Amino acid sequence: MNKKNSTKFSLIRGASALGIALLVAFLLIFFSAQGATFSEKIASSIKALREMLISPLFKKNGNFSMKNFSDVLAGMIPIMFTGLATCIMFGANQFNLGAEGGIMLGAFVTALVAIYVPLPGPLLMVAAVLTGAAAVGIVMLIPAVLKAKLGVSEMVNSLMLNYVIMYFLNYLMNSYLADTSKGNTQTFPFRENAQIPQMIENGSRLSWGFVVGIIMVILCWIFMYRTRWGYGIRMTGINQPFVMYSGMNVPLIVILCQVIGGFLAGMGGGIEMLGRYNVYNWSALPGYGWTGITVAILAGNNPIYVPLAAFFMSYLTKGCTLMSTNANVPSQLISIIQAVIFIFFAAQQFLSGYRQKLVVKSAREELAQKALSAGERSEK
Amino acid sequence: MSEEYVIQMKGITKVYSNGTVANQDVNFNVKKGEIHALMGENGAGKSTLMKMLFGLEMPTSGQILVNGEEVSLSSPTVAIQKGIGMVHQHFMLVPSLTVAENMVLGMVPKKSGMLIDYKKAVQLTEEYSKKFNLHVEANAKVMDIPVGMKQKVEILKALVRGAKILILDEPTAVLTSQETDELFTQLKHLKTEGYTIIFISHKLNEIMEITDRMTILRGGRSMGIYETKDVTPQEISRLMVGRDVILKVEKEKAEPQEEVLRVRELEYVNEWGKKMLDKVSFSVRKGEILGIAGVEGNGQKELVDMLFGFNRPNAGNIQVNGQSILGRNQRQIREMHVSMVPEDRMLYGIAGTASIEENLISDRCGEKRLNHGFLFNMGAIHRESGRLVKDYTVLCKNPSQSVGSLSGGNIQKVVVAREFSNDPKLIIADQPTRGIDVGATEFIRKKLVELSRSGIAVLLISADLNEVMELSDSLIIMCGGRIAAYFEDTKDLTDDLMGRYMLGIEKQSPEEIRRVCHE
Repeated sequence: MNKKNSTKFSLIRGASALGIALLVAFLLIFFSAQGATFSEKIASSIKALREMLISPLFKKNGNFSMKNFSDVLAGMIPIMFTGLATCIMFGANQFNLGAEGGIMLGAFVTALVAIYVPLPGPLLMVAAVLTGAAAVGIVMLIPAVLKAKLGVSEMVNSLMLNYVIMYFLNYLMNSYLADTSKGNTQTFPFRENAQIPQMIENGSRLSWGFVVGIIMVILCWIFMYRTRWGYGIRMTGINQPFVMYSGMNVPLIVILCQVIGGFLAGMGGGIEMLGRYNVYNWSALPGYGWTGITVAILAGNNPIYVPLAAFFMSYLTKGCTLMSTNANVPSQLISIIQAVIFIFFAAQQFLSGYRQKLVVKSAREELAQKALSAGERSEK
Repeated sequence: MSEEYVIQMKGITKVYSNGTVANQDVNFNVKKGEIHALMGENGAGKSTLMKMLFGLEMPTSGQILVNGEEVSLSSPTVAIQKGIGMVHQHFMLVPSLTVAENMVLGMVPKKSGMLIDYKKAVQLTEEYSKKFNLHVEANAKVMDIPVGMKQKVEILKALVRGAKILILDEPTAVLTSQETDELFTQLKHLKTEGYTIIFISHKLNEIMEITDRMTILRGGRSMGIYETKDVTPQEISRLMVGRDVILKVEKEKAEPQEEVLRVRELEYVNEWGKKMLDKVSFSVRKGEILGIAGVEGNGQKELVDMLFGFNRPNAGNIQVNGQSILGRNQRQIREMHVSMVPEDRMLYGIAGTASIEENLISDRCGEKRLNHGFLFNMGAIHRESGRLVKDYTVLCKNPSQSVGSLSGGNIQKVVVAREFSNDPKLIIADQPTRGIDVGATEFIRKKLVELSRSGIAVLLISADLNEVMELSDSLIIMCGGRIAAYFEDTKDLTDDLMGRYMLGIEKQSPEEIRRVCHE
């Protein structure tokens, strides 16, 4: 298929996926909408949909809403990191689902350093985040080495590991680390110099961690596409026997990508912790790891598309939150609507019949052109 | 007029979802009771056309008529109902079941409604076997029977299901010349019984021998339908490839020097307890091509696996330039300057969705000259891939095109470009030209000869007799996991003589075989 038709297809596919998803969302909202009459129901559904689509960017009066927009950007921070982590692990066909537990552990270890280690100035911030990241990288050795040496499924292992991490951290919190003077289970506050400064002081908690995230996106892309290790990871993802036959060290690649994935997830946890909170008080898995998987799939495992995918997911989340608070749509519906939109975007076979038609058309055009130029040549 | 045709395919066009136009306005017809050849190079669209006739693919446009009636062949089940049967190149049999069980798969005779009536299956097998004069052992397990018999099982399977039209996809590719002769006798017999046979092949002599008419495909288009008696092999060859191909490789006499590969007393028993290698000893010297011929499954695969560190022998040793390679992995073996063209190029030779460039550097991506510290030296990588693509005439838009979008011949050129260009001392070429077009075949064969004359040891394993005879300076034949014969010179060899050794009818004395060790 030529480039023109390929772009055309992507655009049409994207637009119709969104269109259908919104239609389904509209129907769902409509059936649960309040209002006595049909027209009232329609009106409140339209209002809800408007909240979801437009409010993350614009105020009621149509002016640009910096607050909502910076909320969306702030929401991107943790899922960019888990998205990158998943990109690199899935890129080597290692279906490690440990970014979820990883981000929690990273946040926890970073918090401990930020509370208990007396380091001067911004050094503490950096050390805390890197310690958290390294801790998760090391923990990811468990599924990685088991896979590389014994062939144990990393998917099952890392999935279970998430819960091991969560309960273990909760145990540590409840038994040893909680600040007992508080009603909630939370740690003592972080040292002041551990806090990551905010980019905008408007309560969005959009910290400079966002910029670190963008830098990591670029570094990850360079790593994956411009170094021999990233090359090895990508080739392993495409065809592992080929990589072995070519003389690369497959077990090392399998381990490496999961350790790097863990490191990135841990880093995301640390940055989220120091950029948004001043105590550690998580008692359940935060869900960023799961969203990270979605982000990686939307980005096609290419780090460079992670910010786009993360923006999409964060926008959707923010839109749904606004819809739920401002338009009385039940919060359970929000998850359904989010899922519907995601499914249409991620569906590989969506509009494949139309794609085939374009392919055929494209091939015919190319052949006709070839015949034409061949004819011209023979005339000369 | 049209009543005499059992099959008519009119204006068939097939576009695959990756944009490949496999067939374009192809007209194809088959008369009742004829043997019709479908010829063309690899990638000419033969398989696609036949897949559409057997319901494995649907045409993008065009119509198919069976016995004058338009049909929509949406699945093999429909095709079988219409009396079309297909014998695939790679047999679709269950190795652990008996011949009779394979025969009735999917149409099992039952007794008292539940239990499998095995006796009836055997009866049915024997009845058909006798009727069509195709001898098979109904009670033998498929994994224990020779390739020739497996093929008969496949043919009988199609016949049992009521096929009147048989499609044979390169049926002789895996057969010895004796087995081929036998197959041809049986096909002629089937023809006299009123069966119609479509015969896919690119072996000219076979086509001339048994077919009545032929359709020639080139680049997805039909080059016309011809009566076999009206065309000469030269004409066919020209229609197929657009030029007269002479697959004679000019080569000077080899001047072998010191030993590079030394294999001694290699033994291997596979996981089912079958002895696959039995005291195999040979040497390959610098500057020579040693060929290994033999019917597939006589230990060649096991041998190659061991030579490249994919498996370990139970006894014996393998040395390259005096160093043992046992226990070393592929990286360590490559460091000893051993290159390998793998038999299964799609599995080991390439990463399909990666670019040509990425496929060309897989064995050297860690080398200093391609890296700046941590980072790839993209300039050096582009230069390397550009040079290889040019030197090996890989037909592509540019090196960043995905390798999977190339034709089989060009994919193989990418593989050999990588394997031949990293300063090898020993090249193991396993079926280097299997299933690729004539142009690429010629190129790769010439390159192998050129490299051997420049002082590289080459071990060539091939099931293509012409290839081993044409390229090898000396040759060994494997049969039943042993070396059955060694020929110091390949000049006076004939298919017939080789066939006898390959089938184990004859065997050289241990002393004669031992000469291949050059001690």
